[in-house]
Amino acid sequence: MKTRLPEHGPVETPRFWRTLDERIETPEAQRAAQDEFLPGAVPGPFDDVHGLPPQSGFSRRDFLGLVSATAALAATVACDRKGQGTVVPYTRRPVEIVPGVANYYASAFQEGRRVYPVLVKTREGRPIHITGNDEHPGVKGKTSPRAMADVLRLYDPDRLRAPKAEGRTVGWAEAESRLHGALVAAKAAGRPVLLISGAVASPTRKALLADLKAALPALEHLAFEPAAGDAAEEAAQASFGQSVDLQPRLAKAKVILSLGADFLNGEDPEALGAWGAKRRLKNAKDEINRLWVLEGPLTLTGTNADVRVPVSPSRLGAMAYALAKELAAKGVAVPAGTDLSSISAGVPAELGETSKLWSNLVKDLHRAGRNAVVLCGAQMPVEAHQAAHLLNAMLGSEAISGRAAEPLATVRDLDAAVQGMAAGRYAAAIFWDVNPAFAFPRASAWKEAVAKVPFRAWIGLMEDETAAQCQVLLPENHWLESWGDFTTGSAEVLQQPTIGTLYDTRHGEEVLLGVIRALGGHAPASYHAYLQGRWQKSLPLGTSFEQALHDGLVKIESKAALPAFRGASVAAAARRAAGSKAEGLELVLFPGFATHDGRHANNSWLQETPDPITKMTWDNPVSVSVQDAKALGIQEGDFVTLSLEGATLRLPAILQPGQAKGVLALALGYGRSTGGVAKGVGANAYPLMGLDPASANVRPGARLAKAGGKKDLSRTQSHHRMEGRDIVRSLTMDEFAHNPQGHHHKPELVSLYEDQTFPDHKWGMVIDLAACVGCSACVVACQSENNVPVVGPEQVARGREMHWIRIDRYYEGELENPKVVHQPMLCQHCDSAPCENVCPVNATSHSPDGLNQMAYNRCVGTRYCGNNCPYKVRRFNFLEYTAYKTEPETLVNNPEVTVRPRGVMEKCSFCVQRINDVKIRAKGEARAILDGEITTACMAGCPSDAIVFGDLKDPKSKVAQLVAASRAYRVLEELGAKPAITYLADLKNPPPNGASSEGGPHAS
Amino acid sequence: MAAVDRKPVLDRLAALVAGPFLLGRRALNLDWAQAEGGPPKPPPAAPAPIAITPPPHAIKRRG
Repeated sequence: MKTRLPEHGPVETPRFWRTLDERIETPEAQRAAQDEFLPGAVPGPFDDVHGLPPQSGFSRRDFLGLVSATAALAATVACDRKGQGTVVPYTRRPVEIVPGVANYYASAFQEGRRVYPVLVKTREGRPIHITGNDEHPGVKGKTSPRAMADVLRLYDPDRLRAPKAEGRTVGWAEAESRLHGALVAAKAAGRPVLLISGAVASPTRKALLADLKAALPALEHLAFEPAAGDAAEEAAQASFGQSVDLQPRLAKAKVILSLGADFLNGEDPEALGAWGAKRRLKNAKDEINRLWVLEGPLTLTGTNADVRVPVSPSRLGAMAYALAKELAAKGVAVPAGTDLSSISAGVPAELGETSKLWSNLVKDLHRAGRNAVVLCGAQMPVEAHQAAHLLNAMLGSEAISGRAAEPLATVRDLDAAVQGMAAGRYAAAIFWDVNPAFAFPRASAWKEAVAKVPFRAWIGLMEDETAAQCQVLLPENHWLESWGDFTTGSAEVLQQPTIGTLYDTRHGEEVLLGVIRALGGHAPASYHAYLQGRWQKSLPLGTSFEQALHDGLVKIESKAALPAFRGASVAAAARRAAGSKAEGLELVLFPGFATHDGRHANNSWLQETPDPITKMTWDNPVSVSVQDAKALGIQEGDFVTLSLEGATLRLPAILQPGQAKGVLALALGYGRSTGGVAKGVGANAYPLMGLDPASANVRPGARLAKAGGKKDLSRTQSHHRMEGRDIVRSLTMDEFAHNPQGHHHKPELVSLYEDQTFPDHKWGMVIDLAACVGCSACVVACQSENNVPVVGPEQVARGREMHWIRIDRYYEGELENPKVVHQPMLCQHCDSAPCENVCPVNATSHSPDGLNQMAYNRCVGTRYCGNNCPYKVRRFNFLEYTAYKTEPETLVNNPEVTVRPRGVMEKCSFCVQRINDVKIRAKGEARAILDGEITTACMAGCPSDAIVFGDLKDPKSKVAQLVAASRAYRVLEELGAKPAITYLADLKNPPPNGASSEGGPHAS
Repeated sequence: MAAVDRKPVLDRLAALVAGPFLLGRRALNLDWAQAEGGPPKPPPAAPAPIAITPPPHAIKRRG
């Protein structure tokens, strides 16, 4: 049933493929496709339990032994009173809490300069689930996967629960007296004090730091964000003369050019929302944007490109300046003082054979004008950023805005601080929610230097590498226990606690308020009072602080225009770009999808969420292009040594289709030496970062060699494969216009079964593959909502991951630059479900409203249902993943969803608890359920609104109308399972073949 | 079909007799803790449950 089209090569070439093995169709891949579970996933009779080798056969004796043991175990288990607890009423019920009823609080989460306004769901006082704040005009109820997953960090058992001094637990009075004593002495001696914190995105925190500076004039403050991209900071200073926080406005963009910018990676819900709105086409006449991507490593944005060109990152600046020169030649005005004389005109050498592509790009940008935007990846070299700023200024782009931001310290600033510490300049150092001991490239120099500071204090959540070098540790509140505020483009956002402090912790700001008081200044005792005092003065007329807390924000007029571009900055950058050469291997260091800069490394939800591109979990192997791997003789999982300027890492390699030749890619944030989850996972890539901010993350001259040995990768891309059937469909706009169903025909189904009837509702879902970018927000949202367990890297390697929804990533075309389609795959809730028929104990059955439901207590774990499921979406609890957990880990569980024990099959329930919640509410109010009132966790989490859920029996419902759309199809419909999920085919909008991209209904 | 690796009858009889005998001997040889100096120590107290308190001054959206 493979989809083989004549125009896609020889008959034996599958159109879509997920792994290199599948592409080549090795015998191993063909064999694996026949097996339901990976080798090793299903244990032998005694394997994995007693450590004995697997049995080669299954004798009668084994059988009798197992029957006896089963009977004995069943009797034992039946007598067990596991899970017995005590239910007691509140003696004094807090007024906010009604048992069984969820409370929602508006708050905010910060990661670097980015701020996420969120809505936090609490049950019985415990925050358990996070979504975006629907009142915020930018994010519109959406947020990022890491923001959603950060609720787990609140309950991290590794959190520091009380202050420490010299390694022993002390009270706050002693810890603070030591801190105050050191700072008072420093002030008296007139010696500088170093304070390193994260980015300052909060106006009240900024005011507090100013007050601290007034009380301690010798204070030196650095805002350090190792994943922010030093080159972006340098370029903003050069191009605008100030630090700038840029925000794409993709709703206004008809043509987008990405220079290694991964703006669709899930971090920016605002951009993703606008992207999704432009891609959810009802018919081919609707307007669609076009995304051009020039990049080295394959990014999520690259996988969603309409045209993607693999290019070495060091050449991006030269290509972008060449574009500017082409546009100038077409009459586009250049900013005053711009000198592009060092740039040669014409098609860049990298595109020698594809000059048509180049001319199409120039025409697209020229025609779109102010509706075009050029975005540059934070990690790209400084000249690429400056070229992007120039192009946006030339085009007069309305699709990007920017506002002045607090400057960030670059690696050069940090290096200067290290030298200052080594020279004995500082009397004291305070590290607040940062981990430079881990993230500074020269870790040994850092360690030596910091030891020369007489007094070192640390404020943070979990003891990390930096805490290990400090005398006094001051535990900080988690942000869900904290007050705060932030400025975003369209609103002033408030952060409020959603739970009282779990431990003996304080706001970091309160520690600094105490310092101000100790130094003779005036400051209130609590940060809440400090913040409220500031807000009361600045609130707009008619808005109360309580109303602002209720909404989580106060909307403001957006006046974020880009500052004036300095044309004089171009000449030097263009010269540097023109002189750049892509020689040898170029290493790109980027923030890890799961770990970011390392701060999320202890979050097991994120560690186990497969990387959207590589599908790796629990590791950061180096990605090697297919061409380089062939030249160096490297295969998937081979250990390699990666060397650069004296630093060497030994780590596994993976082969990445689509990655530019000569480019290596490695994620930051792994290789932590502290944390129960993070310790020892992956390799720390920071030692490979450069000390030149202009190119700290793009490093030429890397050397790669085989190190011997192979690692069993915990990678999910080959799991749950569906034998190359017609699963995923992708259309170009031409195909959509002329043949909306693609080359596929709806099979006529004949069934021996009677059609099921659904008296009230028939729940169904539509997933638009054109809007889905593959960011995995749905995976994390589902994990949080449904208590999906984490199994660890060894079990993932065996194919035992438990996610109820997965994102299948399909490649199409050549290894060097394939097209990519992402497809969320979850239980299809089939009307004629193959899993239901084979369950010997009727543990899985169909509900009257069309749900394929599981009775966990009835399941005996035969796994027949998993075997018979054509979509491979059922998950079996091979081991006990949750029963051993205790507080605080269990506090994150959603009480509305059963925690499943060992030996039980589980799968997506369409968030039946949410359906029932709305049903009960509607019944209580004597009304019908409204369309859109029920949101599954994946739907609510999807930032591009690719998922729609609703009642298929209601012809006016959005989901019913989408099912009738022209791009609609059901996966494996020919099997007659009658799935309740409909997919809308993916769309790509490349320039039409022919002389130019002009004309045509969907030309931009 | 009979299992091919069936052991001779005598072997199985010997195992049948020897098994309980060996197990019994092992059970008798177990080193039972001697009660010395009063009653045994109580097991360590289970950690106190973490107190969940409402957030002070916060205003909920709904619930």
